[in-house]
Amino acid sequence: MTQPVSLENNEFGAGGRPISVKGESLFRDSVRRLARNKAAVVGGTIIVILILVALFANVVAPYPYAEQTLVDQNKLPQWVLSLFPTMKPYAQLSSDYFIGADYVGRDLFSRIIFGARVSLTVAFIGPLISLLIGVTYGSISGYFGGRLDNLMMRVVDVLYAFPSLLFIILLLAFFRSTFAHPTPGTFTYTMSQLDSASGGLLFIFIGIGLTAWETMARLTRGQVLSVREKEFIEAARTLGAKDGRIMFRHILPNVVGPLVVAETLAIPGYISTEAFLSFIGIGVNPPTPSWGSMISDGAQVIRTYPNQAVFPALALAITMFAFNFLGDGLRDALDPRLRGNQ
Amino acid sequence: MGRYIIRRILYMLVVILVVSFITFGLMHSVPGGPFDKEKSLPAEIIANLEKRYHLDQPLWKQYLSYLNDVFVPHIAHEKPKGLDVADDYLIDIKITDTFWIRWMNFGPTFSSRSRSVNDIFRQQLPVSVQLGTLALIIAIIIGVPLGIISALKQNTIYDYLGMSIAIFGVSVPVIVLGPLMIWIFGVTLKWLPPTGWGSKPPYIFGFLPTNLGWDYWKYALMPSVALGLGSSAILARLTRASLLQVIREDYIRTARAKGVKERNVIVGHALKNSLIPVVTILGPMMAGLVTGTFVTELTFGIPGMGKYFVTSITNRDYPVIMGTILLYAVFLVVANLLVDIMYAYLDPRIRYD
Amino acid sequence: MRSKFFVLAGLLIAVSMILGACQPAAVPTPETIIQTIIVEGEVQEVVVTATPAPVVKPEQMKVLTLNMGPGDIPTIDPSLGTDTSSIQIVAETFIGLTRQDEVTNLVEPGMATTWDSVVNEDGTETITFHLRNDVTWVRYNGSTVEQVLDCDGNPRIVNANDFYYGIMRTLAPATASQYAYVLGMSMVGANDYNSGETDDPSTVGAEVIDDFTIALTFIEQAAYNPAIAGMWIAYAEPSWLIDGDDCTDARGDKWTETGFFQGYGPYTLKEWVHDSTITLVKNPFWVATDNIPAPKIEEVTWTMLDASPAMAEYEAGNIDTVAIPLADMDRVKADPVLSAQYVVAPDFCTYFYGFNTQAPVVNDVRVRRALSMAVDRQSLIDNVLKGNQEPARWFSRPGLAGAPTMEDHPDLGIGYDVTAAKAELQSYLDEVGKTAAELDLTLMFNTSEGHRKIAEAIQQMWKDNLGVDVKLVNQEWAVYLKTIKGADTPQIWRLGWCLDYPDANNFIRENFGPNGSANPWKDGKPFGGAMYNNPDFFAGLLDAAREQDPKVRVDKYAALEETLVSTDAVIIPIYWYTRNTLTKPYVTRTFSTGGHEYIEKWDIDMDAKP
Repeated sequence: MTQPVSLENNEFGAGGRPISVKGESLFRDSVRRLARNKAAVVGGTIIVILILVALFANVVAPYPYAEQTLVDQNKLPQWVLSLFPTMKPYAQLSSDYFIGADYVGRDLFSRIIFGARVSLTVAFIGPLISLLIGVTYGSISGYFGGRLDNLMMRVVDVLYAFPSLLFIILLLAFFRSTFAHPTPGTFTYTMSQLDSASGGLLFIFIGIGLTAWETMARLTRGQVLSVREKEFIEAARTLGAKDGRIMFRHILPNVVGPLVVAETLAIPGYISTEAFLSFIGIGVNPPTPSWGSMISDGAQVIRTYPNQAVFPALALAITMFAFNFLGDGLRDALDPRLRGNQ
Repeated sequence: MGRYIIRRILYMLVVILVVSFITFGLMHSVPGGPFDKEKSLPAEIIANLEKRYHLDQPLWKQYLSYLNDVFVPHIAHEKPKGLDVADDYLIDIKITDTFWIRWMNFGPTFSSRSRSVNDIFRQQLPVSVQLGTLALIIAIIIGVPLGIISALKQNTIYDYLGMSIAIFGVSVPVIVLGPLMIWIFGVTLKWLPPTGWGSKPPYIFGFLPTNLGWDYWKYALMPSVALGLGSSAILARLTRASLLQVIREDYIRTARAKGVKERNVIVGHALKNSLIPVVTILGPMMAGLVTGTFVTELTFGIPGMGKYFVTSITNRDYPVIMGTILLYAVFLVVANLLVDIMYAYLDPRIRYD
Repeated sequence: MRSKFFVLAGLLIAVSMILGACQPAAVPTPETIIQTIIVEGEVQEVVVTATPAPVVKPEQMKVLTLNMGPGDIPTIDPSLGTDTSSIQIVAETFIGLTRQDEVTNLVEPGMATTWDSVVNEDGTETITFHLRNDVTWVRYNGSTVEQVLDCDGNPRIVNANDFYYGIMRTLAPATASQYAYVLGMSMVGANDYNSGETDDPSTVGAEVIDDFTIALTFIEQAAYNPAIAGMWIAYAEPSWLIDGDDCTDARGDKWTETGFFQGYGPYTLKEWVHDSTITLVKNPFWVATDNIPAPKIEEVTWTMLDASPAMAEYEAGNIDTVAIPLADMDRVKADPVLSAQYVVAPDFCTYFYGFNTQAPVVNDVRVRRALSMAVDRQSLIDNVLKGNQEPARWFSRPGLAGAPTMEDHPDLGIGYDVTAAKAELQSYLDEVGKTAAELDLTLMFNTSEGHRKIAEAIQQMWKDNLGVDVKLVNQEWAVYLKTIKGADTPQIWRLGWCLDYPDANNFIRENFGPNGSANPWKDGKPFGGAMYNNPDFFAGLLDAAREQDPKVRVDKYAALEETLVSTDAVIIPIYWYTRNTLTKPYVTRTFSTGGHEYIEKWDIDMDAKP
């Protein structure tokens, strides 16, 4: 094992320039920079609050998410009516529900709170799967290049050539029917139990997971391709750094910015995939709420009861803002060259 | 470069074959058949139907004959009559009166007895291509400038405003935006027709509308904006991120240090390189827009392909599933090839060897 | 730089052009299409009728627009139609031997003016239909409707041979008609011919006596036989157009396309823009009868829109009548203008939940009855469905021939009764020593917004009224059908049924008879669906079908319904459908109960139309 050359205090920083005069670690430097970014801090705070709300939904929500009071269906409080005065001729008022009740008399607010569970899970697991598989795959392919790259990229090409939504629909139909009547004790039984315990989410994850990573792999490869030609990589190689070290220490920090941005960009995609699946009726199992299913339910009645679409959409939009600002901040922090200083 | 392209095209063929194989296998392993109805049909009726569509043959035979129909050119010795929807080739080339080369028969559709999959390609695909192209243009027109402004004015009010617009665009799904637009512009203000599409077959070159006047645009405006807005947000954020990174590259510093005008630095050096990731995404984005029109089409009553992508799966319309997925695959691999060529063009440091 | 970027965008678009441009060189398109190009929705052409009629200016022309629902019409070939959209078009462009009144569903003369019935020695019934001789085949030639001429230049008159051709084409195995089974189970020899047992057409109980007389022989004498003879699968069809003859090119599968199509009903096809619209134009050669008048409306267009966009088009004034989406119901009822245009009409369909009567827990009739009685159908209708549906007390929709009605059988069937439901369940629970919460029950439905809402509401009713926790599972349609018609049928499942012909037989026997649609059999045993085997009930179904006295027949069906929904509680009848429609005030119309409208009976008041 050759002695790895420490580059931290070397004049060859991640960008081929000194990255820090104090010699602090990349990580601590990043955290410090992230903390200075107000938008990112606000975004991060919102996400932390959302996570807490989702975790303690049964404490925060005024009603259980599935409790229906049929006679209270579509009722809404006065302030919502003032907000959407078009509902005046037919709106039935009730102050029991903070932002109104849905089509079978379930509290919308409670459902939004519980819906955060599904939507946040989708927002985290989706990117996690695609980052994990995609970045590993893409960087190996891009770094080593040549035949391996060619082979790996052709595999991606095949998977990439599938329309992902259709692929998910096909996969969902396949999984749900294959795992519909399992015998207890088998693998399929465990899978089916896990799926129904998660309200039908498990197979949605698998579907998304199997289709989402290729984009990340391609993007990573593209980035690695352009970075590996750079002088500082040559330099590191000349200094005897091993492939693994070059990859993790020198290449990844330089490509991670666009990847994080792409992933935060993709989060709305995952959430809207879930919404789309709900729209065509193969999303989460009822009565499990998700923002996607609530928005698609609400969109049906958008002319009659706009509050049923607007509030879940608002919840979604706020989450998007939070993820995006945090994503921007992360990128700025992870890539020291991107500090906003102009 | 030439050899590279030829090799890529050969790869493409392999990719398409593999895609067709996976799709064929997957769709036949999903339970339920095309003729399962609420009113269950007697076995004899099902048998007649399966015989008609050759579903009574072993799967491997069905697959091979599908490959033969789609990929292998056929020869006919008289003018094709087109009486049978199962005998409809997308490409019929007349060599002489008694010699015709026919290629790409995607088969009949189970959901319509007088139409073949090729008919759907001829009549519905052009609409989706028009809608998808318009949406992409709108996405580029809105997205790229928004991203550039945000990047150049990083951390100013313009940046935050621009990005807020972008995030808004991506977080309001068409499911909500579509009905809202119809309600406001179609029903209340009556500026635009709520639903419909302004062109119908026959199309110029097989896909261009015959009229491009207001009668076309009044139908196209709302759906293409609704469809393009989400993509414009993605383009805006990608452009911004990429430009921010490029601006800080050494060669930009060098250019600046050399005293090149800021405007020229940005336009001459930074923009070109910052567009690489943007270009990467355009191919799939275009394909996604053309095929991802299901909700937009349903909301705005547009006679495009989008619904076939979804309903073919729920209806187990095997030839349509195969046809649409193969079509998408061809579209994507071609787009990807173009992207890769563009890569080399935009960034000469990337070599093809 | 940017120019290069746009070069790229251009290239991408170019690819789409190449892909889109893969246009066939030789696939024939109807010649007439070029002539029928209509500039963007505005009908600019003048309909010149062949009979001397004043030329109508387009702005005065009576044009009606309706909506059909999303997706292309599967077919307008009478032999192949299975769904309401297809049959709507077919019912206006062809006329059967008999025809049902669209409101009362009574059988009336169609192309046959009279018919007489003979019961043969072997129990079969031969009905001889006497056809009218004044109806010609017509086609739209791109600018006007013209009579179809035969090779001698004479108008082709619709005759018994055309009907024979139509029936035999439906039954031919190569046609692969899905509804051929309706003829197969009722006409002598039809099933064997259809399944390929024999290829001798003379074995089928259909015989051309002369040009205007055709005799059909049915397996059993039944009140509904003339109705079956009037179904779309037994319409006359143009053999010269489909198979070709000396002076006509064969059009094969494509004969129903714009420019080729021929029919003889009060309307004929003008243009079918796939996935978008279908337009019918008045047939000036149609000779009016009492029950099929000459059309007053010149042109009828159906759009193919989803419910919400169609509602928007109605409110924008572009569609003349529309089904109200559930989502807009509260708004419509409260709106002074819209509520005045709102009409509720019955629709001959039943929505129900079925039990797998051999599955754990629900194999006990007490549990089934308890679950059925715990469903507050009225509350479901008022709060979830909102379409003034009728709570169903039994299966066969009242109004069908033979079906009991609420008037003559007010106490028949099963309804909401919490006390009785609790008692039934308690008796079961005491016996098995469990609590209600311990019961493991699953309700399965096919994924759809509407079914989900109903299932969620009923799930809650069961929880509130009985303390039973029922799990909801949904499956995608095709998978669902496989599941509920196979060995793994869940404990509770949902289905709906709409009429094919207006008789209780079409409902109760074709669903719950041995190997009925909701009670499939395999190897002589129930296999899937209701898993229901009650020989007495099955014998009763046959007996009721044969009964000639209408009054006695209703009583027999009433007793069978009682067995089905209460004594054996095989299903939970939930509601009988209604149609909630808005119609512009300038349209005079009828409200069909069978699913398709007879537009020739409608009119538009052009003075009142804005």
